[in-house]
Amino acid sequence: MAEPTPVQIFRIAEKRKQYRSGSFFLKIGILALFVLVPFVFPSYKTVDLAMQIIMFATLVASFDILLGYTGILSFGHGMFFGIGAYCVAFLIGKYGMPSYLNLVLGFVTAALTASALALLISFLSLRVKAIFFAMITLAIAELAIVLATGLSHFTGGEDGISLSMPGIFAVSFSIGDFMGLEITGRVLTYYFIFLSCLGLFLLMLRFTHSPLGRVLQAIRDNVQRAEALGYKTFIFQIISITFGCVVAAIIGGLYAMWVGYVNPASSLEVMAIMLNVLLMVIIGGMGTLYGGIVGAAFLLITQTFLPDLQNLAKDFFPQATLLHNVLERWLLLFGILFILVVIFFPKGVIGSVQDYISRRKTILLGKE
Amino acid sequence: MATTTFERWGRELTIAGAIVLFLLPLIGIPGKTYLTLTIAGVAMGMLLFLVASGVSIIFGLMDVINFAHGALFAWGAYVGFSIFQSLMNWVEADSVLQNFAVFLIALVAAMMVVALLGVILEKVIIRRVYGFHLFQILITFGATVVLVELIRILWGPNDEVMIVPLTFSRNWDILDIIVYRYRVICIVIGLIVYGVIQFVLKKTKLGTIVRAGVENRDMVQAMGHNIFLLFTGVFAAGAGLAALGGLAMSIFSRQVYPDMGSTYLLFAFIVVIIGGLGSVTGSLVGALIVGLSYNYVAYLVPWAAAGVNVLIMIIILLIRPTGLFPAGK
Repeated sequence: MAEPTPVQIFRIAEKRKQYRSGSFFLKIGILALFVLVPFVFPSYKTVDLAMQIIMFATLVASFDILLGYTGILSFGHGMFFGIGAYCVAFLIGKYGMPSYLNLVLGFVTAALTASALALLISFLSLRVKAIFFAMITLAIAELAIVLATGLSHFTGGEDGISLSMPGIFAVSFSIGDFMGLEITGRVLTYYFIFLSCLGLFLLMLRFTHSPLGRVLQAIRDNVQRAEALGYKTFIFQIISITFGCVVAAIIGGLYAMWVGYVNPASSLEVMAIMLNVLLMVIIGGMGTLYGGIVGAAFLLITQTFLPDLQNLAKDFFPQATLLHNVLERWLLLFGILFILVVIFFPKGVIGSVQDYISRRKTILLGKE
Repeated sequence: MATTTFERWGRELTIAGAIVLFLLPLIGIPGKTYLTLTIAGVAMGMLLFLVASGVSIIFGLMDVINFAHGALFAWGAYVGFSIFQSLMNWVEADSVLQNFAVFLIALVAAMMVVALLGVILEKVIIRRVYGFHLFQILITFGATVVLVELIRILWGPNDEVMIVPLTFSRNWDILDIIVYRYRVICIVIGLIVYGVIQFVLKKTKLGTIVRAGVENRDMVQAMGHNIFLLFTGVFAAGAGLAALGGLAMSIFSRQVYPDMGSTYLLFAFIVVIIGGLGSVTGSLVGALIVGLSYNYVAYLVPWAAAGVNVLIMIIILLIRPTGLFPAGK
């Protein structure tokens, strides 16, 4: 057998350390936390918050495939999310009975529709400039909202569609107690969505760490060089965009399952969802996938407890009306935070921490 | 060869095709309505041109995609709204002169305030991300959030009915065709702005430097011109145009609301994609196409009005990806 190359030696060493490193235990800890949430904090609010964090973390990761790994900014990610939600809602809510088959069909339709649209948009915009993608997706996403609201006999208009779950996911379903918790359809839905999101997340990790993912990063860092190396950047970008958008659509379908209704305001609103996703990905860190978890947790927890914070401010500083106004408009604070992070920490929390660790490692190596 | 024929007659064919398309709605619309719609469409086009030209010039010279343009547009509308509110007796006076005076005051105030905002924006945040499109979009998007939230804090979060100077809400009756006075004013404003931009760009030294900057930034710098000062100036001018557009559009649609910027920014993007990013004439033509087609389609097939612009944009992207009038770069 040939002598292993330095890269191979490095990889073997990394693999050996894989299950002992701090980040591995951190990941296991986070997973365990989300598994235990329904048992430890069975209140509706906490479980809903945990579910939102899981779904948004996965959505942000899929957005990160576009932004952080391909260098393409899409304002249509919320639209793909909404398409997924509507497809599932059509098949088990408006145009079909709630059954497992229809649920699966809903997800398949969502994936197909999303990939077709993503292909169309990327063919149109990437021919010119990557920045056109941002503008064109913005325009098409706005059109999607208008269509969803306007074609009310088809989409249910502003009222949207409410849907009921089949079989074990139904709200009325229950199989009795387990460790003090009644296992209802809601709890089973939680675990189903959790596992699906985990699967999607692992799939995305696999995608970005594959040779294809490496090519994408090369394109993001330097298009000309990647082209000079013989890669057809156009094709790679299209593959990555389509992949990210299909994942977003599937998460949209899961979201519809959890919330139980879809309407243009909740699932297609470009500004609201896009704003959240952008904030999460920037705060968490672009090009890391894990950044989504940090960003989603930070943003959603803050948003959930913001009313308490406002009341607290009113109790302690009853005179400071300016403070109340600013807290009422918390988005202002997030906007400023967003700008500051883009300027000073363009890699976000995870990226900065990773930088710090690797710098320390180099310093330690230097000392040896 | 077919391509040669097209190359030889391309311009004439395009113009002929444009005229045919322009007259095509006559099939479904009676003549008088057609004229009214055309005036409305041209007026709307001119207003969109005011917004889009700022986006286009800023991109052409500075290579910056300004997503905060919509927020600046809304700021212009709100500053004008405040001026109208404080000079209410002039607004309600039955005198053309006073009405115009208050309009001009509002216009100047809005443009000054927003140009100042533009200077701050350019100096504080955009300067840091020159050359990185992705970060430009991100950071100007963040600026939009902040600016829109500031509007909500300063003027309240609700929709307001725009105050309109009395004379602007009147109309003329020419041969049984009702012509809203304000639409004509919009068209005049648009033409004046187009003329001024073209004059400054083509006939003055400043314009020569700006156009040279679009072609080759480093060379202009090497010739001893302070390109960063120029960038700040152009950004302020673009912001001023946005304010003008915002005020004019809010009088046109008779309402102001904090999120108004994002709606019209969308139109502006469609316009610059159709017209070609970086070209002023392209913006004008693109804006007219969008304004006219929107009005015709809104009359013929109301539910399709929102989609027709996106459709036109897609068709243009398919046959001419760089837009109708691609700029120097």
